[in-house]
Amino acid sequence: MFKDFFLLSARGIMHRKLRSWLTVIGVFIGITAVVALISIGLGLERSITQQVENVFGYNSFLIVGKEAFQSRRGTTEEISVDLDVIEQVPGVTAVAAVRSESGFVKGPTVGGKSVQGFLPVTGLSPTLVTEFKSFLGDVNFEPGGRFFTPGERDVVILGSKAASQLHATLGTTVEIENHPFRVIGIFAPSHDSGGFSFGLGKSGNADTLFVPFAQMDELFGKSDKVLLTLVKTANGADVDEVADRVKNALRDAGDKDVTTVTYSDINRQISTVMGSVSGFLAGIAGISLLVGGVGVMNTMYTAVLERTREIGVMKAIGARRGQILMIFLIESGLMGLVGGIVGVIFGLGLSSVVAAVIRGYFNVEIHTVASPLLIISTLAFSFLLGAFAGWMPARRAAKLPVVDALRYE
Amino acid sequence: MEEEVLRLEGVTRNYRLGKTIVRALRGIDLVVRKEEILGVMGPSGSGKSTLLHILGALDTPDSGRALIDGTDITTLPERELTRLRGTRIGFVFQTFNLVATLTAQMNVELPMIFQRVPRSARAARAQGLLDRVGLSDRAHHRPNELSGGERQRVAIARALANDPGIILADEPTGNLDSESGAVILDLLQELRQEDGKTVIIVTHDPEAAAIADRIVRLKDGRVIEEVANV
Repeated sequence: MFKDFFLLSARGIMHRKLRSWLTVIGVFIGITAVVALISIGLGLERSITQQVENVFGYNSFLIVGKEAFQSRRGTTEEISVDLDVIEQVPGVTAVAAVRSESGFVKGPTVGGKSVQGFLPVTGLSPTLVTEFKSFLGDVNFEPGGRFFTPGERDVVILGSKAASQLHATLGTTVEIENHPFRVIGIFAPSHDSGGFSFGLGKSGNADTLFVPFAQMDELFGKSDKVLLTLVKTANGADVDEVADRVKNALRDAGDKDVTTVTYSDINRQISTVMGSVSGFLAGIAGISLLVGGVGVMNTMYTAVLERTREIGVMKAIGARRGQILMIFLIESGLMGLVGGIVGVIFGLGLSSVVAAVIRGYFNVEIHTVASPLLIISTLAFSFLLGAFAGWMPARRAAKLPVVDALRYE
Repeated sequence: MEEEVLRLEGVTRNYRLGKTIVRALRGIDLVVRKEEILGVMGPSGSGKSTLLHILGALDTPDSGRALIDGTDITTLPERELTRLRGTRIGFVFQTFNLVATLTAQMNVELPMIFQRVPRSARAARAQGLLDRVGLSDRAHHRPNELSGGERQRVAIARALANDPGIILADEPTGNLDSESGAVILDLLQELRQEDGKTVIIVTHDPEAAAIADRIVRLKDGRVIEEVANV
């Protein structure tokens, strides 16, 4: 039954080839816009979360100042955290902290002269390298350089600018707060790629001296103040649960102004932002879709007017209202569906092109998303759009008195 | 005396044409019996078409009664009227009114599609009917590839699709040359003789009127003359 009506409808469409195609084009432009925008939006979100995931891993979280995360000012606010307390929390396997101070620095003596002055000194836990490698991003040393090993003391890594300012080279000795440190590595100068990583050796840190975290207390006095703390959880442990436990433990110990930022926290924030971006894009796409829908409606309306007599004949030879309605609904739905199929293909193509352009010009990795759900729901939607657009004229056609329809010229 | 298949009693029908009300039928009494060929003649505007519409359940009277196979159509809901049209009546129009997008065979199948006849039975019957009207070799041609006479023969095959008892023909030869027209009239006569169909022909054409057993003349919505053909 349905198959017969489908055939009748398809023949109706093929009969008015040009007009049918114009209608299909009206739908497909709208669908193309929708698919491209959604696919790019989803791809952007996925790319961002993937980067976060790469940096963070699933099993790590940050401890930062309460204000820092909420006001999105970054993680540069100093907080007071007792690392020993964190290490005691069950589920925690590693803790790494970053602490920054301004220190009196003296370069090696070259030709009887040495440079001295104040430069930023940052203490890094050796576990940062062993346990949180992804967080560091790409670290490039000048040839021969390396990171300090756990327990190693009196060694320093210099930012490229710091090295040149102090006239320090690999193996020479630099004094920090009158304490000698052997230079074991110099970061290669690199441009800031705007990545999510902590950015060792990046332009912002080029004038910094990096020393083992444990020695910061000796140099600058004992302090719980750190820039940020990274915590790694045991395999299989619920990161959010451990994060809550750490937060409670820190509060019990008196560190009230801290909060934890887990992978899922960041994801939530990304989703919120991307949600509104996607909503905006979908709104724009929706308008073009609406225009397409009006196009289908217009075509169907003319088609019905044109075929008033034919409808009269069909009714005369025994077609019921419902059957005529069905023929026209399938016809308009089919045009919507074809528009949808073409639109999905063009939309995915367009989004790939846009992604390639973004990759080329902005150096941001974007993978477009072509989820089956997106495709199927778009096709279903375009069919329904067509069917809905055809519904009004089809109903009018079906309701027409036979005699009037037969008399129609 | 054969049983009656159509009966009109005091049928009136008015319709609105712009601001004026046209009194198309002003009290028609008519009985049509089984296996009869009835000719309906009369000048334009005499109410011939309106009469045919009511006989074919395309329209219902404003007053009076109209019985098709004993069923009064005046009170019948739309759905029942449609079923009646689909199963008891076959229409043949002056302008053929084939569906342009469909082949001859699909046009013949169309009434059966609406009555939900299974696909295989439908195709076989359509082919049989096309064979009967001498168009088995044109089954897959579309109307615009057929001559006027051929189109009307397809229309007759279509009218026979659901094997109705009554065939209503509105000027069946009006758009045809006399040769093609003669073929159509032969077919209509054959339907009565071989199949026992009741045929009503609305016509201006004396040739067409000649095959009728009885002729009813209309003028201004009334029957002014009723004569038996010999």
